[in-house]
Amino acid sequence: MSLELEFADGRDVFATEDMVLNMGPQHPSTHGVLRFIIRADGEVMRSAKADVGYLHRSIEKIAEKVGWHGFMPYTDRVDYVAAMTTNQAWAMAAEVLGGVTVPRRGEYCRVIAAELGRICSHLLAAGAMGMDIGAITPFTHAVRERELINDLLEELCGARLTFNYMRIGGVAWDLPPGFGAKVLRFLDHFEPYVDELDDLLSGNKIYIERLANVAVVSRERAIAYNLVGPNLRASGVKYDIRKHLPYSVYPEFDFEVPIGEGRHGSVGDCWDRYIVRLHEMRQSARILRQAIDGLPEGPVIAKVPRNYKPAAGEVHVHVETPRGDQSWYVVADGTEYPYRVHIRTGSFAAMAMIEELSRGLMIADLVALIASFDIVAPEVDR
Amino acid sequence: MSGYVGNIVESVTSIFDGMAVTFSHFFRRPYTVQYPDRMPVRVQDTLPYRYRGFLEVDLEICTGCLACERACPIDCILIEVLKDKETKQNLLVRFDIDLAKCMYCGLCSEPCPTGSIHHTREFEGADYSLESMVRRFVLEPTVTYKPKKAGEDDPAIVPILERGMRYVNEFAVPEAAPKAPKKEAAPAAKPAPAAPAAPAAAPEVQS
Repeated sequence: MSLELEFADGRDVFATEDMVLNMGPQHPSTHGVLRFIIRADGEVMRSAKADVGYLHRSIEKIAEKVGWHGFMPYTDRVDYVAAMTTNQAWAMAAEVLGGVTVPRRGEYCRVIAAELGRICSHLLAAGAMGMDIGAITPFTHAVRERELINDLLEELCGARLTFNYMRIGGVAWDLPPGFGAKVLRFLDHFEPYVDELDDLLSGNKIYIERLANVAVVSRERAIAYNLVGPNLRASGVKYDIRKHLPYSVYPEFDFEVPIGEGRHGSVGDCWDRYIVRLHEMRQSARILRQAIDGLPEGPVIAKVPRNYKPAAGEVHVHVETPRGDQSWYVVADGTEYPYRVHIRTGSFAAMAMIEELSRGLMIADLVALIASFDIVAPEVDR
Repeated sequence: MSGYVGNIVESVTSIFDGMAVTFSHFFRRPYTVQYPDRMPVRVQDTLPYRYRGFLEVDLEICTGCLACERACPIDCILIEVLKDKETKQNLLVRFDIDLAKCMYCGLCSEPCPTGSIHHTREFEGADYSLESMVRRFVLEPTVTYKPKKAGEDDPAIVPILERGMRYVNEFAVPEAAPKAPKKEAAPAAKPAPAAPAAPAAAPEVQS
């Protein structure tokens, strides 16, 4: 027997409407000021639309006004979780335009700083992932280890977050005395710690249940959406700028590119994206050891005029940041200011994909999805 | 049914796996310190030499070259230099730094030839108004410093210049400080042959 109850105007009495829910902009688990407009049918989302732009600071436009050297501190703010790699991208772009060659020791200093920054960023990503799922302890542990790296970087360049360490032509300052030994001592402490984080989090049944088979990104979709970095590698695509479009002195180091294997579900689910970051920390530690062992002598910065005027032209450089391939398109017109700067960041591509992935997910899984993509909102908006 | 119970057992045991890690932290040394009241030494004194805290200017050795003002990407430094027509000297009449605007990038202290503008390790600057964050270093018009070819001999200025040159040299190459100044600090190396006399091992003299 079917109940056919209708209102006088013919509408079904039991018809439901989608609920529109705002998540953010000040939601604690949206990794920055970021808003999602969720259309949900009960707990199940029909779509989650990202509303970006809250953190837009027009950094690309500022570059046209402050000049080549003066823009360096601004690049710290593009992605403040891993400022070293962004520094490096800008320096590389300016160097290619001006035909400056970086001394070898300068390149090694850059690699050491960038890999420390990568560990720093991945620690925060792994910790925040646990926090978003509901495990609070890993976050405090990860941030605690991150403090040790911050102390090292503070000694190196005088700041804990916005480093401004690299310069066009090299790095600003040489490694302080005894820095290599300190990094090695930190790595001796850190490498067992990654296993500890593994024990603490990765094997937890609840954690696996929340992440495995959630928001699976297939290999084809990942490439179609132009995902980069750990997000792409978690889907089984072995693509790392450090290996495949080598820059700096990365070809001299021996390291592996971890990819997602789908240990607890399908390849490319949230759990894979988490574990790839954990493996990458181990690989960064490997690179750091090799870089400190093979540190050459010599100057750290090439001679670059204070009034830097590269020849007119354009350049497109790629750098592997913790959030993937960050590419900078810089146009110079021969003056002391860049003509145009455009940054293409990894979080931006990941953000674009969330709308497709969110269809049919639970609202609580959206938090896991954002965390697993390791989205840093200021990097999306710039 | 067995799968149902198995899931519960697995969840509980894996929680205890994690708890074992947490528990081991009861027996480790804490990383945290109780700031600011229970510190044995001031935090400022424990910071590394390169720490970029508040900017400070030693007017005694400021040459008025405006290199820092030009280097600043956000124009938080304001300097006015006047030429005294009678004595043919340059007078510094204004040297303001807006510490609220400053982003502590360190670009201004790099081109300074004498190390006059430099970062200290002070960072506690909470105040009630933005105006009070503007540091005015020139209280009355001051004659700019002129590097002497023969080296500095005024006993009042020698220690200040020494500190400044140490800052210039050590910031760039801490290990090479006792040796000859590096090429990078070339414009700075000219006016001060007596400069980097102090050993590199004493970084606490700063500020």
